[in-house]
Amino acid sequence: MKFLRKIKSFFRRGKLETEMAEEMRHHVELQTELNLKAGMKPDDARYAALRQFGNVARIQEQARDVRGWAWLEAFAKDLRYALRALRKSPGFTVTALLTLALGIGASTALFSVINSVLLRPLPFPNADRLTIIWETSAQQNVKREGPAGPNFYDWREQSHLFQDLAAVELGSGTVTGLGEPRQIPAMRVTTNLFSVLNVRPALGRLFVSEDGLGGRQARVIISRDFWQRAFGGDLEIVGKNVMIDQISYQVIGVLDRSFWLPFQSDLFVPWPDDELRYQRGRLSHDLGVFGRLKPDVTAAQAETELNAIHARLRLTHSELAGWGVTVAPFQSVMTEYIRPVLLVLFCAVTLVLLIACVNVANLLLVRAVGRGREVAVRLALGATRGRLIRQFLTESVVLGLVAGGLGTLLAFWGVALLSAVVPATIPIPDASAEAMLRPFEIDGSVLAFGFGVSLLTSLLFGLAPAIYALKSDVIHGLKNGSRATTGGGRWMRETLLVVEIALALVLLSGAGLMLKSFFRLQHAGLGFQASQLLTMEMELPTDSHYKTGPEQSAFFARVLEQVGSLPDVTSAAVTSVLPLHSQDERAQFLIENDSTLPPNEHFQSDLRQVSPEYFRTMGIAFKRGRQLDRHDSAGGAAPLVGLVDEAFVRRFFADANPIGRRLMLGEARLEIVGIVGDVKHSGADREARPTLYVSFQQIPASRMNLVLRTTAAPASLVASVKQAIWSIDRNQPIYRVESMEDVVAEATSAPRLTLSLLGLFAVVALGLAAIGIYGVMAYAVNQRTNELGIRVALGATSGDVVAMVLRQGMSIIGVGLAIGLAAIFMIGRLVEAMLYDTSPRDPIALGATVALLAIVAVAACFIPARRAAKVDPMVALRAE
Amino acid sequence: MANPKADLLQGTLDLLILKSLQLEPMHGFGIAGRIGQLSKDMLTVEQGSLYPALYRLEEQGWIKAEWGVSDNNRKAKFYSLTATGRKQLVAEEHSWAKLSTAINLVLGNA
Repeated sequence: MKFLRKIKSFFRRGKLETEMAEEMRHHVELQTELNLKAGMKPDDARYAALRQFGNVARIQEQARDVRGWAWLEAFAKDLRYALRALRKSPGFTVTALLTLALGIGASTALFSVINSVLLRPLPFPNADRLTIIWETSAQQNVKREGPAGPNFYDWREQSHLFQDLAAVELGSGTVTGLGEPRQIPAMRVTTNLFSVLNVRPALGRLFVSEDGLGGRQARVIISRDFWQRAFGGDLEIVGKNVMIDQISYQVIGVLDRSFWLPFQSDLFVPWPDDELRYQRGRLSHDLGVFGRLKPDVTAAQAETELNAIHARLRLTHSELAGWGVTVAPFQSVMTEYIRPVLLVLFCAVTLVLLIACVNVANLLLVRAVGRGREVAVRLALGATRGRLIRQFLTESVVLGLVAGGLGTLLAFWGVALLSAVVPATIPIPDASAEAMLRPFEIDGSVLAFGFGVSLLTSLLFGLAPAIYALKSDVIHGLKNGSRATTGGGRWMRETLLVVEIALALVLLSGAGLMLKSFFRLQHAGLGFQASQLLTMEMELPTDSHYKTGPEQSAFFARVLEQVGSLPDVTSAAVTSVLPLHSQDERAQFLIENDSTLPPNEHFQSDLRQVSPEYFRTMGIAFKRGRQLDRHDSAGGAAPLVGLVDEAFVRRFFADANPIGRRLMLGEARLEIVGIVGDVKHSGADREARPTLYVSFQQIPASRMNLVLRTTAAPASLVASVKQAIWSIDRNQPIYRVESMEDVVAEATSAPRLTLSLLGLFAVVALGLAAIGIYGVMAYAVNQRTNELGIRVALGATSGDVVAMVLRQGMSIIGVGLAIGLAAIFMIGRLVEAMLYDTSPRDPIALGATVALLAIVAVAACFIPARRAAKVDPMVALRAE
Repeated sequence: MANPKADLLQGTLDLLILKSLQLEPMHGFGIAGRIGQLSKDMLTVEQGSLYPALYRLEEQGWIKAEWGVSDNNRKAKFYSLTATGRKQLVAEEHSWAKLSTAINLVLGNA
C-alpha cells in the first residue's frame, strides 16, 4: 500500500513539486504580511520573511527525501554497494555467476522445449476440442488403427457430440516439371478437413464439398512452404497447374504460414466421397481421423458415443466383431511418447538448479560470516536488521539477475543444441505412425520463466545469509574482532551440504539407472544385424507408369539385379516395411482345417512382401523348412507360399509344426513353407508380433524399401546405388536413405535423449557437489587453523589431523547419502515406466552411483584435510 | 523575540504538530504560529524542519492535506488529523508524559 503510494508519487513528481513550491511561497507571503503589520517597509518585510524561512531549495530537498525519493535513493545505494561488494571479490562472483547461469540456462532451455511441445496450444482455434479417432481391438491385440471409409462415414453421420469429423490418408506424390523429380509428402483428405481444423488460406480458397464429387479437374492445395520452395512465392499461383504422378493438378489455394500438422504434407488433394465411402471394406484400416468436439464435450463422452454407434454397426457387419473405438485429444496424443522424457528431464534440471542454489547459498553464507565484523559494526552504528537483510537480498538479487541474463543467453544456445539432439519426429505409441514435433522457440513465456526462475533462486539462495544476518550478535561480532565468528552458520552450511549431496545422489542414480536400462535395450537384440546395412525407400507412381502389380514387381526385380552387381554389395533385397519404420501392413486370414475360430472372424498378422534374399541380407535367423526363391513367382503355375516367424507359430499354431498348412487369404490359399526368427518390428522394448512373409513377386507392392548389405561403409555407396536405379527409371525419386544403424538409433531416440541429457546433468551435479563439499570443508579447516595448531603442538600427528577432518566431512556425506537413498526409494516409481528391464531399485546401478558420489565427496574432503595436516603450530598460534 | 528559546528535542516536533492540529485543520504557517503561541513563544519551529516533518507525517498517514482558501483569500494547503493520527497523538502524549516524569524524577524536581 505504502509502497504503491511511493511509486505513484514517483510518477506524480512534477505536480508535487509545484504544490510544494506554492505552499512555501504562501508561507513567505503570510510572514511578509505579518512583518508589514509590525511596521516594516515592504522590501524589508519580504526580505526578512525569506531570511526567516531559510534556504528554500534545501528545505524542498529535505521534503523530497520524505516524499518518496528516499527509498529509491536507498535502493540505489544498496545497488551500488552490492555491485562494489561483488566486484571486490571477483573469484566468488564469477563462481557464483557461472554456477547459477548454468542452472538457469539449462532449465530455461528445457522449459522452452516443454513450452513449445507440450504447453503451447496447436495453431488452430479451440485446438483443445480437436481429437484423433482410432479403432481398437483387444482380441487382435491392436490398440490404435485408423478406420476404413464406410465406418468413418457412419460415425460422421450418426454422432451428435462431434461438430464434424474429417479423414486423411498420408502418402506422397512424385512432382515433375519443376527441376529434378521429387517425392513430396502429400495427404488425400476429405473436403471438410480444413473446416474441421478451422483454418484460412493465404491465397485462393480451400476445399468445398463439391470438390469431393470427383471426376472433374484434379485440384490441389499446397503448403506455404512448398509454395515458397517450388514456386518462389508466385502470387499468381492460383489457377496454375502442377504435375503430380504424371497427372495435371490445378492449384486452387495456398495454406497460411501458421498452418501446422504433426504429419508432414505439402500437397493436399480432395478425396472423392463416393470412392471413400463405397469402394472399401470395413476392415481396410488406413484413415487418419480428426474430430472436432462440440463445446463442453469430453473425449471420453465422445468415445462412449462412437462405441455405441460401432456396436450398432456390428449387428449388421459381423466382420467388425471385437472392434471398438478410441478417442484421444489431438495435442496430448501426439506428444505421448516424449512427454514422460521431458518431464523427467525437467525434474532433473530442476535438481541441478537447486544444487546450484545450494552451492551459491553456501558461498554467500561463508562470505556473510566473513563479514561478521562489518555486520556488527553497522548494527552498532544503528542500521536496522531489516536494512541489513535488504542489503544482503539486494546482493543476491543482483547476482541472480545477472546470472539470469547470462543463463538466458546460454538457453538460446541450449535450445539450438536441443533442437539438434531431440528427434524431429517421434512415434505415436501403438499407432504405427509418427508425428513431428513443433520447432522449439524461445518466446515471451520462456523469457518470463527465465526471469521468474532468476528471482526465485535469488531469494532461495539469498535467504541463508539473510537469516544469518538476522541472528548475528552485535557484541559477539565486535568482540571477535577481525576473526569471524567460528561457529557462525556452521549448522546451516552443513545442512545445506547434506541437502546438496542428497540431491546430487538422486540425479546421479537416475542417470545410473538410465544407463543400465539403455545398455539392456542396446543388447536386447532386434532379430537382425543392423551393422553394414544401407536402406532407402521408393514409391512407384501407380496412376500412370506402374499401374499393375507385375509392372511394379518387375521394376523392383530389375533394381535388385542392378544394385546386386555393384562392387561392395554382398546382397540386396526389398521389403514392403522396414523394421522400426513405424509403418505397418496387416493380413487377415483363416487357417485351413482349423475350427478354433468362431464363424465370421479372421486372424490378423503383420504382412511383409519381401524378395527371397531379404532374410540373408538382414541377418534374420532361418529356422526350418525352405526359403522363398525365384520360382515363387507370379506365374499361374507357382502356388502361393509364405514364411512365418516364431511368434506366428506360437500364436496361431500353439507351437505345433505349421509347415505344409495353408492359410486362406480371401479367395487365395497360401502354403506355409518355412519358419524364420522373430524380428522386433516396433522396437526392442516391444514384443515381436506374428508376421507373415510373402514374395514381392506373388503379392506386389508399389512402395518398397531397398536393403543392401555392404562391405564398405554404407554411406559411401549411396551415389552409385542411386545411379543404378536411375539407369532404369530416371524419374524415380529415392528417399529415406539411411544406414540401418541410424534407423535403430532413431527408434531408441527417447531413451537415448534421456540418457545423454540426464548423464550431462548428473556430471554437472557431481561437479557442483564436489565444489560444494570442498568449499565447506576448506572453510571449516581454515576456521580451525588455530585449534589444529594447538593440537599439533600438543602432539597430534598429521595422520590424526587428517582423520579428524575426514571424520567431520564423512559424517556429513554419510547423512546426505542416506537421505538421498531414502528419497530414491520413495520416488523410484516415477522413472519405472522409462526403464527397460531394470528395476528402479537396481542394486548394481544404485550401488555404483553411491560409491561414485562417496569417492568424489571424500576426495573433495581430502584436499582440505591434507592442508590441515600441514598446519605449522608456530604459525597457527602466532596468527592469533 | 527576546524570549529565551528552548531547543526542540528531536522527535518532539511530530508531537507538537499533531497537537496543534487537534482542534482544526491548519496550513503550514498557521501550525508554526500555533506552536509558538501555545508555548508562549518559547518554542519556534524552523521552516526547514516544519515542511519535511509535515510531509513525513502525511506519508505515514497520520495527517492529510487538502487545498483550501485561507483567511486572506489565498489558496493554501490545509492539514488535518486522520483517525490513526489521533491515535498516534494519544500514544505520543502518553509516552511524553512518562518520559518527562522520568526526567523530572532524575533531576529531582518532582
